[in-house]
This record gives sequence, structure tokens and C-alpha cells, in this order.
Amino acid sequence: MTLRNIPLRPVPREELPVFHKHVCPPTFSGDAIDPVTPTRRIARNLAVNIDLELRDGTKVPLWILEDPDDPVGGQVFPSKTVRTVEGDIIHARVGAKLNTHTIHWHGIEPTPMNDGVGKHSFEISGNFVYQFATNQAGTFLYHCHKNTALHFEMGLYGAFIVDPKKPDTAEAADVPDPPYPDGGPGYVRTVNPPYNVIKYDVEALWVPDDIDTRWHQLGHNAFMQKCNPDSPTAAENFTQDGILNDFWPDVFLWSGEPRSADDDTPFEKAAVNARVGQTILIRFIDATYTVNEIRFGLPARVISEDGYPFGVPPRGQYSQPFDLTAGEPIRITAAMRGDVLIKATKPGRFPCTIDFFHWITGKQLYRATTFINIT
Amino acid sequence: MLGVVGVAAGGFLGRRIYQSLEAPATTYHLAITEALVEMVDRTPVYHWAFEDLDNPARLPQMPGPLLKAIEGDAIQIEITNNLPDPHGFRIPGVPGDIGSGIVIQPGKTEIIAFDAPVGGSYLYFDHLNRPVNRVLGLHGPMIVLPKEGNTPYSNPTPNVQKLFDHLGTTEHFPGEPWNPERTRIWFFSTVDPRFNAMAERGEKIDQARFADEYLPRYFTINGESGAYSSHNHHTTPEGRIGQPHLIRIMNAGMTADSPHIHGNHVYLLARRDAAGALRIQENVPLVDTFTDEVSQCMDWLLPFIRPPDIPGDENIPLRQLIPTELSMTLGGVSQSPLTYPMHGHNEQSQSAAGGNYPQGLVTGWAITGDLDGVDFPPPNPEEKGGPPEAH
Repeated sequence: MTLRNIPLRPVPREELPVFHKHVCPPTFSGDAIDPVTPTRRIARNLAVNIDLELRDGTKVPLWILEDPDDPVGGQVFPSKTVRTVEGDIIHARVGAKLNTHTIHWHGIEPTPMNDGVGKHSFEISGNFVYQFATNQAGTFLYHCHKNTALHFEMGLYGAFIVDPKKPDTAEAADVPDPPYPDGGPGYVRTVNPPYNVIKYDVEALWVPDDIDTRWHQLGHNAFMQKCNPDSPTAAENFTQDGILNDFWPDVFLWSGEPRSADDDTPFEKAAVNARVGQTILIRFIDATYTVNEIRFGLPARVISEDGYPFGVPPRGQYSQPFDLTAGEPIRITAAMRGDVLIKATKPGRFPCTIDFFHWITGKQLYRATTFINIT
Repeated sequence: MLGVVGVAAGGFLGRRIYQSLEAPATTYHLAITEALVEMVDRTPVYHWAFEDLDNPARLPQMPGPLLKAIEGDAIQIEITNNLPDPHGFRIPGVPGDIGSGIVIQPGKTEIIAFDAPVGGSYLYFDHLNRPVNRVLGLHGPMIVLPKEGNTPYSNPTPNVQKLFDHLGTTEHFPGEPWNPERTRIWFFSTVDPRFNAMAERGEKIDQARFADEYLPRYFTINGESGAYSSHNHHTTPEGRIGQPHLIRIMNAGMTADSPHIHGNHVYLLARRDAAGALRIQENVPLVDTFTDEVSQCMDWLLPFIRPPDIPGDENIPLRQLIPTELSMTLGGVSQSPLTYPMHGHNEQSQSAAGGNYPQGLVTGWAITGDLDGVDFPPPNPEEKGGPPEAH
């Protein structure tokens, strides 16, 4: 019997532009579109080349986003955290220093031209001012959305935290006005009438990541489909074989600190230090391409996911915060975030772990360990 | 007779596409057969596939035909195995033999009859030599709607019930209630052509080797990838603000995915695990990204609210608030309507043939108009974008 063929759907001529734009977005630059007066301005440039030094001295090339207004701490990995206040209107000046790029403000939901996805808008050549509000206090991230498989892996990402305003209480007098300092103290949005915030003393940002060092030798446009506006769906527009479907990490990171696969030395940068009686807020952001399980080592309350707090009306009223027992895992994958509260009730050194499981085989690749130290 | 829905012009029927739930069929006639399926880069890849014998086009389909019913309907499925080896049929979550799987010998026809189980999303597949036969193309979706109620479930949790009661009736969800017609299936799968070539040559494929060496080269949604899955109206939810859609995500492939949607957070409603157990969420969180495990079904409610971080007075329609953006054409494509992507954030899934971003597991959705029923302005042909970066 002759094999029957299921062909690709024919693309009508009038749909060819959208197929072309899907892989070859236009460039664009300039000021905010439909502008309104901002309450806060931020800036990021990309991409900046830095090296990640492993413990054996090996250097792995990274690309990061820099804060051009911060000559001291503007070039870090993960890229410098953006911190805004709930209700802010942001003008974000983004400079594409090398080639074209975008920034997607992941979990923040503006118009498509401010969402940073080339095939739904454009890629920045030069400078552009993104405009959006940060109407929901929570944990978000930002990252380049061009050839994202590669650009996100190379390090073009950072945390984006939206802080709630301080409540009108005596307790709040000791806390600086938002945006709160990295590391605490501050307030986080959660269901807790009447203000729906809770004060934390110590804040930790936990960012699991993994690196396949083969990918880090690739160029900016590695394995991108060719651009032929006359026949965007023709087979000859596709490049030769790439390796971007083949992710097999050999370096594991916790908030930017690396370990090789055979090195189980506990991570230092992510360690949390608090005193008995304090409230710890851990914000996690998954920057891996694997499947992960986090264990907090102490009883923990998960209060929000992907920037949206459980239980806070009106749109959060269909959920509630939930408790994890010490060592009970929470399972996550790439780009998921969450906020977790831990009460420091007794002194001790409590081990916390992040497991990395392969995205196809499900096999465990690595267990990362750090500690919550309570004195 | 299966209601033929969403058929593209020209009688093209090879790739099954899903749209509305019409009156349910009671009898399906399926064949297990083989076909060459063209990938996004036009590489033909051998597959095993289901064929809907009631469909006049008589072509195999990937994924297989949509089975749909209302809870309690009597369903009869006649399956003929036209391949030279035994094949199986299993729908986890259906009680009895069908839930654990039946075997159909070469050249034989089996008749399966059952009452449609409780409302929800179901994945059917060939469970033999698991996961080989499933991943090589013998997979498809089944949807059951409950007999009554305004949710997709026969026994919704209090929070799911409250959410659906609030759609179109509360200040935070102005617009319309959920209408079952506003449903999309996002059926994920993967293709590693090296194993498909072994099947084409008639070679036995070892389960353990498959699990260890599988490396997907193509990632599909409803049998399509990249620009095709992103621009198929039967896959992409489209509507005005206040027209919520249900999205049923099913994963027949080999990879754990991390689907991420832009523009609106979604409510996580329910998941069915690989064994068929349905868990309707007691806790219904708003998420923008959530793990899609292998063989899992996962339901999302896309609320179609006005994207919440557009600055400006909420009482002013978007067509008046963002007139410049809605009047722009960039790269030959109008910025009206407002479109957003959904893509896998385990970004390896965005590749095809190991590169070719973004020609993998990606689709999207579109907001076509304001809450007051007025559509956004028509496209303006004046181009504003610059040339793309050469690569």
C-alpha cells in the first residue's frame, strides 16, 4: 500500500506576511507609544558579555542585561533585579547595544508592543521605551525574548519584584518606603485583611538555573530560520541542524552561583540568615530548562504563585495560601515563580535542596543544597 | 456520523482541528494505520496514526479524531487495526477495560462500548510498548461535558463552581459567562524521526532504548508547529474582552513542558495524571506558567480580561486609550487585533530541527475588541517597522 501523505496546511497568500513576521520580526525604536506620564523610570541595556567562573577556574561565557544608571552594581548575574511599587506606571528605556533584542516583562501584562515578543510586535534596534503599569505586587521576571531558547539560557534574565505599599500601622514605621531594599525588611502582598500585606524581616531570592556549556559557545543568531519574505514557509528557509533541542546541563546554579555536576558543595550565596522570631520571605524564580523540586527544610507557607497572591480578592478569591511541612517538595518548571513565608521559631541549621530532573528522561541530574541558618 | 468541524477550505482534512462541541456522535469508526506527516520544515516523517473512517476525506490524522460526548451518552467505538502488529487502545480515567487498555490484533476490528464518564479532558492512546506506540502517533483527545451545570465538570469543587458563577456576573469579570463553544484544545506531542524511521523499516523498538535515547526534533500543538500552530484559528482563542475561553492542554509527547501564556494569567482548573486520576483544583490559582507533565491533561480558564497592566483609565475603551498602537502596521502585520503568544518555557521546545526559533511548541490568542462589543479598528496598511535584522 502506498503511504498516504499528511501535508502541511496550505498558507493563503494573504497570510504570508504573518508567517514571515513569525520568524523575521521588524525592527523598531523610539519613545513610548500612546504615552502617559510615568511614575518611575528604569533602564536596561543588552547584551553585555561577562564570564561565569566555575570553582575550577573554567570560564563560561554569559550574556546579561546591565543597568546603565548603576556604575557599581549594574553588571551582575542574574541580571540586576528591577523593583517597582504596586500601581506604578513604568517607562523602561531599553538599549540594544549589540544586535537586536527585546525585553519581555514576564507575568506583567501590557499591550503587545510593550510585551517584548518580536513576532507580535518588533525587535529593538537602538533604543525603545516600553510603557506598562505594575498593578500587581508580586514576583515576576524579565528576559530577552529573541531566539529565546538561546538568549534566556545565556543569562539574559533578571528578577522583577513589585512591592506593595506600606500599611498605615505603627509596625510599619521601621520599614523604609517601597521599593523595599533587596534582602528586607519589607511588606509582601498576601491575604491578611484589612491591608492584605505581611511584614517580613529577611528576604531571599532563590533562582535555580542550569547550563549546558556547549550552548554557551554559540552566536547570537545561532540556528535561526532564514528570512525570505517571498516564501517564508519554503523548506530552503530553514537552517541546517542545530543543537537547541538537545539540552543536557553540566553546570547547576543557585542564584548565580555555579557548581559542576560532580560537585555537591553546599551553595553559599543562597544561604539565608535570620534570628528567632523573624519572618523570612523566599521568592523563587525558575530559570532552568529542567524539572525541579524545592524543599525548604522548615515548615513553609506558599502565599502566591506567578506574582498573584492566593486568596486576595477579587481575582485571587478562588485560592488560599497552603502549607508545606519541612522537607515537603514543591515541583516547578521554567519561569514559574512563587513567594514562601517561613517563621524562624527555633535556632538551627536547616538544609534546603533543589533537585534537577531531566526534561525528557525525568532522571535526577543534580541535588543542590543550601541552608537556612537561624540564631 | 462525526460532526465535521473546523475544516479548512479545499477539503483539507489531514490534520485534525478542533473548534466547537456540536451534538455528540454516538458511534465512531476508527482505523489504526500509517502515514507520512510533513513537519514544519517540510520533512515527511513516518507515523502510525488513527483514521476517522466516517470522514469523507479518508485521511489519517495527527492527533487522532476528537471524541466528544456528554456524560452518560452511550459511546461505541469500532477500531480496525490495519497494521501488521497488535495495537492497543486506552483512555485513562474511563472505568473498566477501556481505562486499563484493550488490544486489537492485526486485521481485526474491536468494538468498544461505554457510557461517557464524568466531565473532563481525556487522552486516548495506544498503550502497548509504552511509550513507543503512543509517541509514534497513536494518540488523540476525548472531551466529555457534564450533563448539567455551568462548568466543564460533573463534580466541580466549590472554588471552581464559584469562579464559573462569577464569569459575566461580577464587577471583576464583566462580560459573558463561559460558553462551551469557547473551548480550544492544545494537544502537545513530540517527534524524534530516528525512531519513526525504525518503525517504517518494521524494526522492533525497545522501550528502554526509546526512553533513554529519545531526542525530540519537532514539537507540535494539534499536529502543527511554529507559525502554523500560531496562526490556526481553530487552535488560537479569539474574542473580545469578557469572552472567557476554556483551554484543554493534553501532552502525548515525551517531554515535560512549561507552557507560558502572555497577556492574561489563567486559572488552573484541573489536571488528570498519567494513570487517569482527575484532580479538580480545590485551590484555583492564577498562573502564567504551569508544568505540563508527560501524559497529563490540564485545563486552564483564560479569563479574557483587559490586560491588567495597560496604564490608563479602565473606563476608557482600549480603542480610545491606545489608538496609536492599534493603528500601526509592523513587519506587514497590523497591531490590531491585540495578539499574545503561548509557548513552552522549557525553551528547547521552541526549536525545530534543533534550531529554527520559534518553530516549535508555540501558539497564541487574540483580543479582537472591547468589552462594550465594539471591535478594534481595521488594519492600517501604512508600514512603520524597519527591516528585520539579517540572519
